[in-house]
Amino acid sequence: MITPEKPELAEVLEVKQETSDTKTFTVRFENPKRQKKFFFVPGKFMMVTIFGFGEIPLSISSSPYKTGFMSFTVVNVGNVTNAMHSLKKGDQLGLRGPFGNGFPMQRFRKKNILFVCGGCGIAPLRSAIYAVREKKEEFGKVELMFGCKNPQSILFSQEMDQWGKQGISVQTTVDKPSPKWAGNIGVVTSLFKNSVLSPENTVALLCGPPVMIHFALIELRKKGFKDRQMFASLERMMQCGVGYCSHCNIGNRYACIDGPIFNAAELKELPVKEE
Amino acid sequence: MNYVLSKEDLAPFLAQLSKRFQVIVPAKNDSGIVTFQEFSGQEVCLETERLSSPKKFFRPAKEKIFSFAKKKEGYEVKPVFDKTKRVIFGIRPCDTHALQALDELFIRYYGLDQFYSSRRKNTLLIALQCTKACENGFCQSMGTSQAVGADIVFTERGDEFFVRPETEAGRAILDRKLFKQTGDAEPSSKISCKVSLETHNLAENIYRGFESPVWKQEAERCLSCTSCTQVCPTCYCYTTDDEFEFGSGSKSSRFRFLDSCQLKRFTTVAGNHMFRASRSSRLRQFVLHKFSYYQENHGMQLCVGCGRCISVCPTKISLVEIANSIQKQVLEGAK
Repeated sequence: MITPEKPELAEVLEVKQETSDTKTFTVRFENPKRQKKFFFVPGKFMMVTIFGFGEIPLSISSSPYKTGFMSFTVVNVGNVTNAMHSLKKGDQLGLRGPFGNGFPMQRFRKKNILFVCGGCGIAPLRSAIYAVREKKEEFGKVELMFGCKNPQSILFSQEMDQWGKQGISVQTTVDKPSPKWAGNIGVVTSLFKNSVLSPENTVALLCGPPVMIHFALIELRKKGFKDRQMFASLERMMQCGVGYCSHCNIGNRYACIDGPIFNAAELKELPVKEE
Repeated sequence: MNYVLSKEDLAPFLAQLSKRFQVIVPAKNDSGIVTFQEFSGQEVCLETERLSSPKKFFRPAKEKIFSFAKKKEGYEVKPVFDKTKRVIFGIRPCDTHALQALDELFIRYYGLDQFYSSRRKNTLLIALQCTKACENGFCQSMGTSQAVGADIVFTERGDEFFVRPETEAGRAILDRKLFKQTGDAEPSSKISCKVSLETHNLAENIYRGFESPVWKQEAERCLSCTSCTQVCPTCYCYTTDDEFEFGSGSKSSRFRFLDSCQLKRFTTVAGNHMFRASRSSRLRQFVLHKFSYYQENHGMQLCVGCGRCISVCPTKISLVEIANSIQKQVLEGAK
């Protein structure tokens, strides 16, 4: 009997403190057969249960080519994430999924890729960056533009150095600089002028707060990006992941089953900005 | 073959049934409000006008769906199904249509909601046709004035019921001593509603009025009290939450409880961002989900025209008036 709401047991393999309020959890299903069959596309998400506290949707932030585990990068902001932050290696949690559509990576072959993200919006894009890095020869040039609140909250900074060495152009910007900060200051769209990618053969992948996505799309259009070249991962309140609970309803679509990745042409049709 | 049951024999029939089933009937509670409750000999209320629907037996306000128990080797996750054998007497045609709409989403569409379908499978429906229109109902416009998917259909005729069994399971619970066979034609259950809604191209036209000023005008009176979503027989949106059992060590349960799109928290995500922060956007979500989104996704209306949300609204907001005036605007604008 299929019960899509039933969480399956998983264990924590590793917990890594990324910044003061963010941790990356590496987990795997306890059932080896389930883990072996587990497959996902970057951009998909899991429903994660912390027993006794509740369930939340979390994007997978690890590489789709690493099959023995999956990672979640989680900011401590609410009741469930707070409980999750107290998990240690060997603790149990519940998983359902993967849900959502994910980025259509196969359509990005032979194209340049521009990643635009803000804050913990880098989590789902990190998975896509790994996917691109793994099959470097299939893709063109890759740029990552990353906006953060302040230098202390920049996630994956060590990994970014590595990505830089592997030919990915990484640029970061912060809203509130520290005295030592030598990089760019301002919102992520202020980095767009540095992009060397010509819009004709480039796709843009976006994830971040709604206001960032809104303005990034406007700026990218100005640069000559067409709506079908821009893919944004939307954040919504979710309780079920299977289109039942209606929390993630946007117009007649659901972020959990029709999204969370929408291209800008689809976003134009939907009442994304309702106020 | 159809039957006739005298109204006097209704109570004995229900009493008989309650030996084998949990029998649910509409009756007055202590405050004089008609609700669906377990039959224990009380007077069955046959009035058409009522605010409560039997939704709570399919989508209860709070429902335990999983129990989590921490054992030595780890957590044990057990789903909790309601398998009570039930008979619901007196479900009205609009509410039978509401169940059809819910079946579409939870049974026929994507995946399978075992918690809902377990309740649905174990429940027999005895529908009671309406012979009198209710105050705010517009079931004629929505095409929901005749019962569907019930096991037995009752129609009032003077001091007796005309009884039409629809399914094998329904026929099986008819007692041959109380029910007399009849060759009569079914009495007419045609009613004339006082409220009417234009339904031609409704889903499309009302969505085209997304930016209409009507939403804001109407929402000025809205209190976000969620009465409309509570009485609606099809409002199913839910939130899940876990609760610890105190004093049990480490047992906890997952509950699913009905939520309302009229609340700010419905769309609030971490970081306190609200996707529908204004009352007008939340009111619009309610009306468009009923009339437009469900139609586009499932090919059927989520509104069954019971008019309960209109009756219950403390500030007299009417979704029929909203829908009619927006359609009028859109069609005039298109000319």
